[in-house]
Amino acid sequence: MSAQNPTSTQAMTPASPPVAPATGGWQRGGAQAIRRRITDRAVGVACIVATVVVVYLLFSILWTLIVRGGAGLSLPTFTHSTAAPGTGGGLANAIVGSLEQTGLAALIGTPLGMMAGVYLSEFSCDGRIVSLVRFVSDMMLSVPSILVGLFVYLIFVEPAGHFSGWAGMFALTILFIPVVVRTTEDMLRLVPRAMREAAYALGAPSWRVILSVCLRAARGGIMTGVLLALARISGETAPLLFTSLGNLNWSTSLNAPMASLPVTIYQYAGSAYDDWVQMAWTGALLITAAVLATSILARWWLLRNGSVK
Amino acid sequence: MPNESAHTVHSYEQELEHLRSLISQMGGLVERQTSQAIAAVVDHDEEAAMEAPELDPKVDDLERQTEALVIRLLALRAPMAGDLREVVSALKISGDLERIGDCAASIARRALRGELLSYPVSVTGLRSMGRLVQENLRRTIDAMDRRDSDLAREVWQSDMAVDELYVSMFRELVTYMMEDPRNIGPCTHLLFIAKNLERIGDHATNISERVFYAATGRILPVLRPRGGIADQDL
Amino acid sequence: MNTIVMDDVARGVTDVAPPALSIRNLDFWYGTNHALKGISLDFPERQVTGMIGPSGCGKSTLLRILNRMYDLYPGQRATGEVMFDGRNIIAPGMDVNVLRSRIGMVFQKPTPFPMSIYDNIAFGVRLHERLSRSDMDQRVEDVLKRVALWPEVRDRLGASAAALSGGQQQRLCIARTIATRPEVILLDEPTSALDPISTARIEELLDELKRDFSIAIVTHNLQQAARCADRVAFFYMGELVEVDTADQMFTAPHKKQTQDYITGRFG
Repeated sequence: MSAQNPTSTQAMTPASPPVAPATGGWQRGGAQAIRRRITDRAVGVACIVATVVVVYLLFSILWTLIVRGGAGLSLPTFTHSTAAPGTGGGLANAIVGSLEQTGLAALIGTPLGMMAGVYLSEFSCDGRIVSLVRFVSDMMLSVPSILVGLFVYLIFVEPAGHFSGWAGMFALTILFIPVVVRTTEDMLRLVPRAMREAAYALGAPSWRVILSVCLRAARGGIMTGVLLALARISGETAPLLFTSLGNLNWSTSLNAPMASLPVTIYQYAGSAYDDWVQMAWTGALLITAAVLATSILARWWLLRNGSVK
Repeated sequence: MPNESAHTVHSYEQELEHLRSLISQMGGLVERQTSQAIAAVVDHDEEAAMEAPELDPKVDDLERQTEALVIRLLALRAPMAGDLREVVSALKISGDLERIGDCAASIARRALRGELLSYPVSVTGLRSMGRLVQENLRRTIDAMDRRDSDLAREVWQSDMAVDELYVSMFRELVTYMMEDPRNIGPCTHLLFIAKNLERIGDHATNISERVFYAATGRILPVLRPRGGIADQDL
Repeated sequence: MNTIVMDDVARGVTDVAPPALSIRNLDFWYGTNHALKGISLDFPERQVTGMIGPSGCGKSTLLRILNRMYDLYPGQRATGEVMFDGRNIIAPGMDVNVLRSRIGMVFQKPTPFPMSIYDNIAFGVRLHERLSRSDMDQRVEDVLKRVALWPEVRDRLGASAAALSGGQQQRLCIARTIATRPEVILLDEPTSALDPISTARIEELLDELKRDFSIAIVTHNLQQAARCADRVAFFYMGELVEVDTADQMFTAPHKKQTQDYITGRFG
């Protein structure tokens, strides 16, 4: 008991053997315990402070977006194409252009990315090829998007002789795929081995196991990956600059230069005209809202089908 | 055969050892009771005659302890294979030992009766029977302590001699009773004593059967070699 | 040499019917690790054969050979014979998927698929049979009744299987396995993750199932082997040491190694 050592709360009584309950009761640990408690508190406070800072930043961005961008929201924004400053234009062509290019990129990139992810996770028989593919994919995750734009310009736009929506979509797809590959592979790896074996044990062939069991089990995470990739390409400006360039007029043809929200924002934001700057804010708000809406929709759909991750 | 390796859980091993020691103690006590009972009858030893029944409560207590320990082992340790056989056999052996003690005490009490003390008849028959029974008992308890299946089998086979001695005693005593009605009293007592001796022999044989089973897992043939009264013509 | 099973004493127990599975001289390697050595063992029809032994003795390995699970992993190979319905199932040219529909397996950890309860059971059936909706409904119901799960789930067949308790999930896995109407069921420590009551329910289920299926169960729990198995095989270090009726094995085993393991004298 602590009565044995009234002066020292720190030292263990020398009498007790090394591997048996120590004496000292609630005073066990002494100054060490006090230091530990202080450190614990301090780190907790630091975490809270950091969270507050981050949340404030995000919130202030969002708030600014809503306030500034909301001011320019009106029907003409959606019905009129971009026009000269002061003539009351809108963002219609940019919106449509973004939808086309981003949508197509996602449509093409999702199956490609998922299949590559499936390959990396399930068919890792030849370790070297798998390592190589994974390495390349990881590199692509962090490549500066402007380089992708340049790349597509060189192989696509130059030979074709003109900018086009196809090129823009191609660049976005290149940026889209690695994210999906990575998350698909990671999520599939999380599927417990026992579940796979259980499916095989029923006599299912490989593709059935992957399709009906693994992908289904991982669909929540894969969906998150797709949404992340979508969010990434929604805001990319640099690659589009070199590929679809942008178009001041209404055009839905992918064979010609195509407008997009990020490019339009880029062009408008730095200009001297107030209504153009206002349009830029509105454009930014629209992109954010679209990504948010898609996210919520996807989550709701998944929840309805009994899987949330 | 005893196992060289001990249980991984040391306390289990200790409990089994405790069980063996209880049985061993019982064995020692009833051996003593038997030898004293026989001395009481054959040598008219009064002291021995009084000591034998006095040991009885101790034997009963050991039997109760044994039973409690067996139940505990079965519930808490779930013994298997050799351990299970040993534990269950210990329960039955303790029962047999306790009954041997009772028989011995009964013999001793009867030996003190006045009629017998002055009756010299048939002491030789009882003496040889007593010696044989004592020998068998000693060997059985030995086999029990050492968990020796070979010795157990030998004892099991030698019960027949005891039965034969009992049969001849029976005939002899009946003859005496028919000769002279005054003999009936003492001879009946002697008959009961002889019967008790034979019972001790039977119990010793039971014990040896249990020892054999515990050690080997096999059961000695159902029909034990007997020379019992029922098989004989009178 | 593991010729124990050739012994009349052991063989006599299996009655007249030929065994459901018959292993002859099986060897198995994980890479260069010789995991199973010369195993010969019969699995009698419609009986429960228990496999016991210390960790790493090869009992789970052997179980997983019986439905060719080792195919999933490179570097694992088996030689010898495993005879099932007149064919050697580890020989090349065996249709593994058909084999697995006839020899089912239940694993240690209950693994319901991320689907509804109905679909979990239908999954296996759909792989091998084409049933109408009403036939499938009937099959699902029959199977759930067999595992005593029907009253608990009859109103929520469309709900996710993950919502069931551990014991229920394991019974669902068993239901899923018997839905394909196999002849043999393999169980790899099926109750080690469950509480005593769920365990008892599953043991009761096994007792009932052995009327129709031949069962092989691997267990760490000697008491479970004693309760459930008709015959018990003891493995040690990749070898089959002894096989006998459960009665004999747990009251008077022949080998000292078996006795030591069963009575807790190992290590």
